[in-house]
Amino acid sequence: MNAVLVFQEIERSFKRGKPVLNGVSFAVQQGEVTGLLGRNGAGKTTLIRIAMGMLFPHSGRVRVFGLSPTEDPVAVKRRVGYVAEDQVLPPASTLAELIALHRYLFPQWDEGLERQLADRFALDRNARIRDLSKGQARQAALLCAVCHRPELLILDEPAGGLDPAARREFLETSIQLLNREGAAILFSSHHMNDVERLGGRVVLLDGGKVRLDRDLDALREEHCVAMVPRAAVTDAEVLEGVAGCLRARPVFDEWHAVFQGTPEMVGARLHQALGLEQIRCVRVPLEELFVELLGSERLVEAR
Amino acid sequence: MQLIIHPADELPIYRQIMRQITEAIAGGRLKPGEKLPSHRDLSEELVIAPLTVKKAYDELEALGYIETQRGRGTFVCERPPRQDRAQQLAPVRETARKLLAQAYLAGMRLPEVVEVLRQADREITAGPAKQKEHV
Repeated sequence: MNAVLVFQEIERSFKRGKPVLNGVSFAVQQGEVTGLLGRNGAGKTTLIRIAMGMLFPHSGRVRVFGLSPTEDPVAVKRRVGYVAEDQVLPPASTLAELIALHRYLFPQWDEGLERQLADRFALDRNARIRDLSKGQARQAALLCAVCHRPELLILDEPAGGLDPAARREFLETSIQLLNREGAAILFSSHHMNDVERLGGRVVLLDGGKVRLDRDLDALREEHCVAMVPRAAVTDAEVLEGVAGCLRARPVFDEWHAVFQGTPEMVGARLHQALGLEQIRCVRVPLEELFVELLGSERLVEAR
Repeated sequence: MQLIIHPADELPIYRQIMRQITEAIAGGRLKPGEKLPSHRDLSEELVIAPLTVKKAYDELEALGYIETQRGRGTFVCERPPRQDRAQQLAPVRETARKLLAQAYLAGMRLPEVVEVLRQADREITAGPAKQKEHV
């Protein structure tokens, strides 16, 4: 397998002693789709900006197609498409001017794909950027990011702030590009349904590190949440001490514990380790898994 | 054949596709030799990654329900794996007991359970009802 993007032990902080990224390592292979997840402030955008050469890491190394994005920015950007969360497009220029600029910058620009996307999004080329709706501006940014047929597409929160219809159109286009171009995609998102649809692999950032890095289907099938009555164990650490437990937190009158393993395995393990009987263990969608892994404690006393 | 997927379902998307295709074959909605949509078409229709469709098809192929003919597409096998009737009787009975236990604990009676089975039969043989669409 060929890695198109490699992060090695990336560290970066904005305030001294408070690293946002504290040793992040993973690689994205050719044609692979990777969803970058994490709570607000987990460092997703910081990591993406480091990949784009817009920020230096304080330590560690990033390589895009084997090159440094800060030392070889032109060679890297020629092969990468990027849509930022708050894309800053020149507000006074028209869409036609913006597209002409990109066509000029990228020799391998595909005018057929450009026309197809402009028609599909029903973009008015004479419209000024500042007059576009948020959804249209994002579509214009996507058009500019993909018509040079990048081998790696980096999307930072592509659906952020879009209405459900615009989000779906964006997703449909991404899927089409995946089908036709076979580009690798790294995208950050808070929309777990979109992550499930785009599939592939999930990298979860938490506390400056990679908390989870798994194939999405494996993550869904080989993890479950056990619901243990509050009275059955004294505190979360007891559950977290059971083999395979990733996290336990109190939720009203129960403990919710995320385990690696199938519900049957986890039920047996809880019985063996703590003598608990008839514990409900269920597989859950990605959204629930995310909440159970990263959500705060919900104590009955707090009410 | 119409497939419906729910990203937030308990089953991953490729498993949802596998289940619906298996049900369609079991219920006769997909006939032996019938052609399935390509990875690309189904991926664009359902708005899911092409690799997810491929994974579902690969697993169904490994189970012997469908086969890919190079350059022609993917088809329902002429002879899908028939499970031995006598051998399957015990697990079907077991499932029936579980079903009844669950239904009786929920306060249902046998005729209601039979009605549930009839409805499931209609769904498997005629396709899922679009009950939620006309709200």
